[in-house]
Amino acid sequence: MINLDEDLLLFAIDLAQRLGADYAEARLHRTKELGCLLRNGAPEPAVIGDAYGIGIRVIHSGSLAFFATNDISKKNIKNIVESAVKRAKASLPLLKHKVLLSKEKSIKVDWKVEEKKSIENIGFDDLFGLLKDVDHLIKDGKADVAFPNRLLVSSTLLEEKFYMNSDGVMIRSRVPKVGFHSYITTSYKGKTTTITIPSGYSQLGESGGWEVIERLKIFEYIQKEAENLSFAVKNEQKPPKEIVDVILGPQVSGIIAHESAGHPGEADRILGREAAQAGESYLKPNDLNLKIGSKEAYVSDDPTIPNSNGFYLYDDEGVPARKRRLIEAGIISEFLHNRATAYEFKISSNGSSRATRYDREPIVRMANTFVEPGDHSLEELFEDIELGVYIKSFMEWNIDDKRLNQRYVGLEAYLIEKGEIKNMVRNPVLEITTPKLWSSVDARSKEVEFVAATCGKGDPMQGIPVWTGGPNIRLRAIRLGER
Amino acid sequence: MEIIELVDLALKEALKLGATDISSICSKTNENMIRFSNNSITVNKNIKNLELFLYLAKDNKRIMGSTSNPSIKEIKEFTLNLIKACEELSPSPDYTPLPRIETKYTSHGIYDEKLVEDGMKLIEFVKEAIDAGLEAGANRVSGSLMASEENLAILTSGNATGEDKRTKILLNVRAFSNKEASGHGLSCAARLKDFNPYEAGKEAGEYAKASINPNPWEEGIYDLITLPTVTADIIQHVGSFASAFTVDTGLSFLTDKINQKVSVDNFTLRDYGVIEGGFGGRGFDDEGFPTCENLIIEKGVLKNYLHNSTTAKKFNTSSTGNAGIIDPHPWNLVVDSGDMSTDDIIKEVKRGMMVTNNWYTRFQNMRTGEYSTIPRDAAFLIENGKIKHPIAGLRISDSFPRQLANIIAISKERRWIEWWEVSIPTLAPSMLIKNVTITKALG
Repeated sequence: MINLDEDLLLFAIDLAQRLGADYAEARLHRTKELGCLLRNGAPEPAVIGDAYGIGIRVIHSGSLAFFATNDISKKNIKNIVESAVKRAKASLPLLKHKVLLSKEKSIKVDWKVEEKKSIENIGFDDLFGLLKDVDHLIKDGKADVAFPNRLLVSSTLLEEKFYMNSDGVMIRSRVPKVGFHSYITTSYKGKTTTITIPSGYSQLGESGGWEVIERLKIFEYIQKEAENLSFAVKNEQKPPKEIVDVILGPQVSGIIAHESAGHPGEADRILGREAAQAGESYLKPNDLNLKIGSKEAYVSDDPTIPNSNGFYLYDDEGVPARKRRLIEAGIISEFLHNRATAYEFKISSNGSSRATRYDREPIVRMANTFVEPGDHSLEELFEDIELGVYIKSFMEWNIDDKRLNQRYVGLEAYLIEKGEIKNMVRNPVLEITTPKLWSSVDARSKEVEFVAATCGKGDPMQGIPVWTGGPNIRLRAIRLGER
Repeated sequence: MEIIELVDLALKEALKLGATDISSICSKTNENMIRFSNNSITVNKNIKNLELFLYLAKDNKRIMGSTSNPSIKEIKEFTLNLIKACEELSPSPDYTPLPRIETKYTSHGIYDEKLVEDGMKLIEFVKEAIDAGLEAGANRVSGSLMASEENLAILTSGNATGEDKRTKILLNVRAFSNKEASGHGLSCAARLKDFNPYEAGKEAGEYAKASINPNPWEEGIYDLITLPTVTADIIQHVGSFASAFTVDTGLSFLTDKINQKVSVDNFTLRDYGVIEGGFGGRGFDDEGFPTCENLIIEKGVLKNYLHNSTTAKKFNTSSTGNAGIIDPHPWNLVVDSGDMSTDDIIKEVKRGMMVTNNWYTRFQNMRTGEYSTIPRDAAFLIENGKIKHPIAGLRISDSFPRQLANIIAISKERRWIEWWEVSIPTLAPSMLIKNVTITKALG
């Protein structure tokens, strides 16, 4: 845990209030990272990052200022607080809409993610050792497909925070994380294709100590994915042009949950705060209870899933974390809130406020967003499909800034005929609007799987760790495109 | 301590501990930002940081690190930890000694002390941008304005030393005239005299007004005019894919294309370490090598990749001054201007589209450059040389090699672009690209 005199945080908060601020908070925040890159079996320079500083928010008459520095001397903090209050006051003539915060409980708590093998005892020999073992598994290629270029990345992150605010909240936290991702160039009969494992530029990652590597079953996962994706890049058969039923694997249902249910459900976007960068939302403030999908459309976001990549128990405004049900039976049922958006909606915050570093303001973020599991076995999802496509994984994807018009291009994908998986098809394109997508879901399998990802939002940009996941989901009557 | 003293302390500590190659860089930044939405300021920000970056090699083992707490005590501890960790590593077959430079750098002078202030002036600029957007026909205006100063010092074991400093001011305005119609405007400059918040707000407001009531359109193949903000996004990817590290890792569509035609005769792309008007560069790279002008693509032919010492050794060439210790990167990308005005380019188009902004560029296959990206804000259908009506909901679904080979016109006018989606400062023209695949979502 960060061991620092709490007087420093109290000093900042007290000074801000004495200068007229209605609200003040201070967050000491340290992020220590180790990163290793192994390229074709050879190490690139190892990387250590250590960022430690203080972020201070003040609100004066509804005007918000966020100031940050890594000089945490009392003298400098005094300057920062004075400047923040001055700037907040000076902005009042251009303040058409006050920033006010929902009332929340005063909490004093220390919390942390337990580790069996502390990442503070993990060195570059462990991180490179992992990568060398992975490289050994795949360097000779799979299924007649060569892997001439392999860029493997492993990392640990230790995030420690000490947070206080003028509403009496005081929270210390400690979260270790471990992650892996990779870029691989494949070659087959003169054709070169780049892939990632996991696909879709995502990662394997969890909160916890080095035991995460065992929990992830990383070698089994990579061996299997490398084989499956090798078959995918060899394949040349185009997807069917007619209207078909489509089953989306957990990686695809996960990215869809994140992009077309999670992001549009962020209340700051709904209120227009992110308009000039990450965009707004197809949802408007009064769209709770709007029907957006079928009775089988269920999407949630839950920061409290043990070991998850987006795990936390209290957010960066000191609000307890809890599961949020974003879409229930096709109905928009909850938005993601921080205290400012919660005030606008006249509710309590659901604890969605996070910042990646000391010099980033806390904003509304997803944690672990997923399609809820259903009651079908995988076989039952397939059994009545006359003609369909099973898209297990993807690479290219994007969505417009209102989160209505999206595209996912399959990587590992199969034709389905008369309820059975047949040959692979190459790069089926699902380009579809959000209402059409969620309205087309008619069944979900029982098991949910997750991958880790880094979600981008904010200005300056904040890439925050999340999980995306879901079961296999079935969509009826879809026209796919081809690349 | 001054930043030049901090890099000196770190270098001496590392030498004492046995490092043979050291690059020590200290950066002191002061960034003021105002974000606004719905015609109202949402947050004022200030970030002041002092950061030390250290690259070390010892016995062909390589490591680098950064610390945001470069006090005397911390630098000693940080350097010791870095050396200890370095000793754990395996030697790297790619180890290359840092270049011996024997150069003392001084500031390149693209710096404006008028931008070094407490952020109060920014409030006036935001007002100017919002008012201009509203006057031009928008009913709500959002955006962000950022002004920053960075002071840098370097000292390497190769005897490169010196300091540099730079300033920039970036305004990104997005105006809305109704739920569906929006426009984007930018003003990006290294000096205050080149910054124009009114024009950025007005541009966003005018586009917002012009894009009301988009008409239906059919997906298919179109000639596409990319205005500078979209061109800049395309170009920043081309520049990044020119990194020799990316090429050597097989992740670039420019792999194995040196001296081959990758674009048309009138397309030339350069990167500058320092260029008047640009705001991304500095006089030295992360290895202490001097930055310079580099031709990436000349008259359609790929001439050079961007190198650091390690990639240069692998490719049997010299560093281009673009280190990144691991991955070389562009500083300021510049597309040579063409010979037509954007208005004349529009007249050339029989059936096409014009896009003013985009986001979310993602690749299916980085080696073949197959990708898609989403135009946002104002977009227009063009028929018989005239803008016919606004359109919405399109997606460019194509490939970089095909688009580079299909450029048929480049505008005389160019603009410096850097914003949330374009992180590499780019001097970009409008371009006309033939036969671009445009798709839309089914629903």
